[in-house]
Amino acid sequence: MENFTALFGAQADPPPPPAALGFGPGKPPPPPPPPPGGGPGPAPPPTAASAPPGSDKSAAGCGPFYLMRELPGSTELTGSTNLITHYNLEHAYNKFCGKKVKEKLSNFLPDLPGMIDLPGSHDNSSLRSLIEKPPILGGSFNPITGTMLAGFRLHTGPLPEQCRLMHIQPPKKKNKQKHKQSRTQDPVPPETPSDSDHKKKKKKKEEDPERKRKKKEKKKKKNRHSPEHPGMGSSQASSSSSLR
Amino acid sequence: MAEKFDHLEEHLEKFVENIRQLGIIVSDFQPSSQAGLNQKLNFIVTGLQDIDKCRQQLHDITVPLEVFEYIDQGRNPQLYTKECLERALAKNEQVKGKIDTMKKFKSLLIQELSKVFPEDMAKYRSIRGEDHPPS
Repeated sequence: MENFTALFGAQADPPPPPAALGFGPGKPPPPPPPPPGGGPGPAPPPTAASAPPGSDKSAAGCGPFYLMRELPGSTELTGSTNLITHYNLEHAYNKFCGKKVKEKLSNFLPDLPGMIDLPGSHDNSSLRSLIEKPPILGGSFNPITGTMLAGFRLHTGPLPEQCRLMHIQPPKKKNKQKHKQSRTQDPVPPETPSDSDHKKKKKKKEEDPERKRKKKEKKKKKNRHSPEHPGMGSSQASSSSSLR
Repeated sequence: MAEKFDHLEEHLEKFVENIRQLGIIVSDFQPSSQAGLNQKLNFIVTGLQDIDKCRQQLHDITVPLEVFEYIDQGRNPQLYTKECLERALAKNEQVKGKIDTMKKFKSLLIQELSKVFPEDMAKYRSIRGEDHPPS
């Protein structure tokens, strides 16, 4: 207890009454009870006007208000402004968010040889490992002299398959035109009854009727000349089309 | 600024091309290609020297670590930029919404307080330098 009083004994002045910090001047404290002798009363209690000045410095300049602060300047940059336009990043935003960005790393670095879409942890080629286990530096890069080059005499012949990582490339998407060409090259005869549904869809896509006629004529001519045409039954065609 | 990157990019492209050619030589090595191999090895050394020289010009460039994660996972690093921009815009909109709501709240509070404490609010406005109550 003595320690407690020793610690807080220096706090001689009591804290200001809460009324001094209030919104208004506050109620004056109640008058003390009159002395039993009935003599002249003490001086009247101090009013708000006679309160000691400087009890609250913040309230002094702000009238009845306390905790008033300067309002933030209108020139200050806040989230109320569009920060992307403020920093002239609309072009970047439209570039990256306007269209779909391709997912794979090989789309970003299309000319880089090797399979780069695999995670770096697979072949221990991650950039993170460069930070976690930095390589030993300090020496400069010196050209390899004649005696050192002797260490690079290799065996003749091709590398084993598992070591040929350079030749593996990520699969690239084929163009739509190529797909169309491959479809037309299918050995399915064009004018079979079971294929009619498929043909109807194609017909809808084609707009020009003259082109259709020309194409049909050409196909007919081809079928006449082809040796497979007479032997090709509708059953085969239907089975091939049903696979699709 | 862009020149520095162009310089580095050029050196990196040359280096990658040399590595690719070296890979081709090594993948089916013939005794006659030893001289070519030696030459390529020294090209790689000079390539590394050139890239190392670029380091001095780019010491003030900082790269976010998250980009490395994208590259390590075989993902396009532009996706990081995209997500960053989208996040920034979303956060910007959120903060703007909060600021607008707080402004509305302030004007409403002043309006209502003026009805109950007209004198005090007149003082408040005079301190703030607002002659008319905000609508």
